[in-house]
Amino acid sequence: MNENSNNYVNNDDNVIELLINGKITPVEAIIFFREIERHKNSVVKKANDEEQLEDIMMELDELIGLDKVKQLVKELQAFVSIQKKRQEENLLTEPQVLHMIFKGNPGTGKTTVARILGKMFKAMKILQKGHTVEVERADLVGEYIGHTAQKTREQIKRAIGGILFIDEAYSLARGGEKDFGKEAIDTLVKAMEDYKENLVVILAGYKDEMEWFLQANPGLRSRFPIRMEFNDYTIEELMQIAKKMVEKRQYQFSLDAILKFEKLLINNKNGPHYDKMGNARMVRNMIEKAIRRQAVRLVNQKKITRDDLLYIKSEDIAEVDEI
Amino acid sequence: MKKCIIIGKTNVGKTAFFINFAEYLGIKTFELEKKFPDGIEEYAKLSSRAAFAALVDEKYHKTKNIQSIVVTVPIGKGKKKIQLIDTAGLTDDIHPEIDVRKAISQTLSIIRESELILHILDASAAEKKELPSAFGMVDYQVAQFAQLKRGYVILANKIDLPDSSYGLKKIKQEFSGNLIIPISALNKTGFKEVKTFVIHNL
Ligand SMILES: Nc1nc2c(ncn2[C@@H]2O[C@H](COP(=O)(O)OP(=O)(O)O)[C@@H](O)[C@H]2O)c(=O)[nH]1
Ligand SMILES: [Mg+2]
Repeated sequence: MNENSNNYVNNDDNVIELLINGKITPVEAIIFFREIERHKNSVVKKANDEEQLEDIMMELDELIGLDKVKQLVKELQAFVSIQKKRQEENLLTEPQVLHMIFKGNPGTGKTTVARILGKMFKAMKILQKGHTVEVERADLVGEYIGHTAQKTREQIKRAIGGILFIDEAYSLARGGEKDFGKEAIDTLVKAMEDYKENLVVILAGYKDEMEWFLQANPGLRSRFPIRMEFNDYTIEELMQIAKKMVEKRQYQFSLDAILKFEKLLINNKNGPHYDKMGNARMVRNMIEKAIRRQAVRLVNQKKITRDDLLYIKSEDIAEVDEI
Repeated sequence: MKKCIIIGKTNVGKTAFFINFAEYLGIKTFELEKKFPDGIEEYAKLSSRAAFAALVDEKYHKTKNIQSIVVTVPIGKGKKKIQLIDTAGLTDDIHPEIDVRKAISQTLSIIRESELILHILDASAAEKKELPSAFGMVDYQVAQFAQLKRGYVILANKIDLPDSSYGLKKIKQEFSGNLIIPISALNKTGFKEVKTFVIHNL
């Protein structure tokens, strides 16, 4: 439709005038009215989507740390939106393969970012629903021949319209050639073809393991062209995360609690299992434990003030040994 | 006050329905407010009999203005006032008379501001395509347009006439997906259903 014909019908008075002057039939007038109405609605809807996208990008910005990931997500957002605009103008577009590999230790924000990406793609109309389905090896791999394909397909079905997030994906290649994990990968690759337009798959796991996994399955490299690396949080970032988590639950750290918390984090970081149970996951576990310990400390106290309920003290903070 | 507009092609029985339905809702004296396309307003007070005699006509395009009356309907324990509006008949094609064209454009503007749309079709004229009241393009377009609104119903009128059962079937086919109530504006049949529809959509 060209500019002129748009101007022609873009206002009710125009239509009425044409109708009175006998230039158009009542039938045409109603069609014009409908067009105008539809246009109005679509403008409102577009504004909504844009607002939503803004909110989602803000949510991303508010995540602590993750500078490189944020940068990448923004580039991705820009790329996809420009490709979309080019497509609308019938210009050549780059093929859009949005499947990704997330590398990083547990608790470094991979799932959080995946969820934000889902919402972002929905607001951009790349995905219909934008939800995230989180699975791991046990959800995909079955016990006998054929079982795996069936289980995998089930999870894929749940994820259609959104993101299938496979945590510790490298474990699918763990057992070698005879393992059913391979069947899961094959089923997955086929589904990615079948639902090209409406499914994004993210494979996540430790950096080294994921690199090994890709080497063992060279065919996957080109199918997962987007790579994001999630670095460990610094102690400073972890403390910011802790503060946010505590406040979200309507608690406060006392000053000595902060110091103790930080000390424990530093100890943990230098410990042998940091890659498995460090980062934000560690922070969350420590906070949850502190909240329980505060409750135990207060429950037998005779008089409990509001401040008592609010503050987490240093004695409430303790190491967590198991996750 | 919510607007309930009666629309349809000429001679389908809009004015007959307007007067008889108002009477059915308890109106005895008609305090009519007439609005002409050029902006002039007129008020008239008359009995329903007189109103019927003066306004309903087999002549085409008898009504060239919008005439409305305030009626009350029961809502829960209380009552609610609505403005019932009779309009000039629509045509498929460009009408040669400017007055009729003006009246039609007035009708179309009002459709857009109304919460309730009662769209009348002449069920007895389905086979008589030559009659101006036979439903046509403009009716299909109105139906498509009005579907965007919640309070839209098609009233298949003149079911007291012998030819109407075929017409009713045809209407149900061609306007499927819409709420369709068979009525006779003359005999006041189907009015209970129309009243229920109005109350439910206020
Ligand atoms: N048999 C029959 N005739 C009707 C009915 N409703 C209206 N008419 C007749 O149809 C003609 C046009 O009616 P009118 O209300 O003026 O139509 P309008 O142009 O849509 O307002 C008149 O001769 C009415 O008597 C009905 O339910 N049954
Ligand atoms: Mg009339």
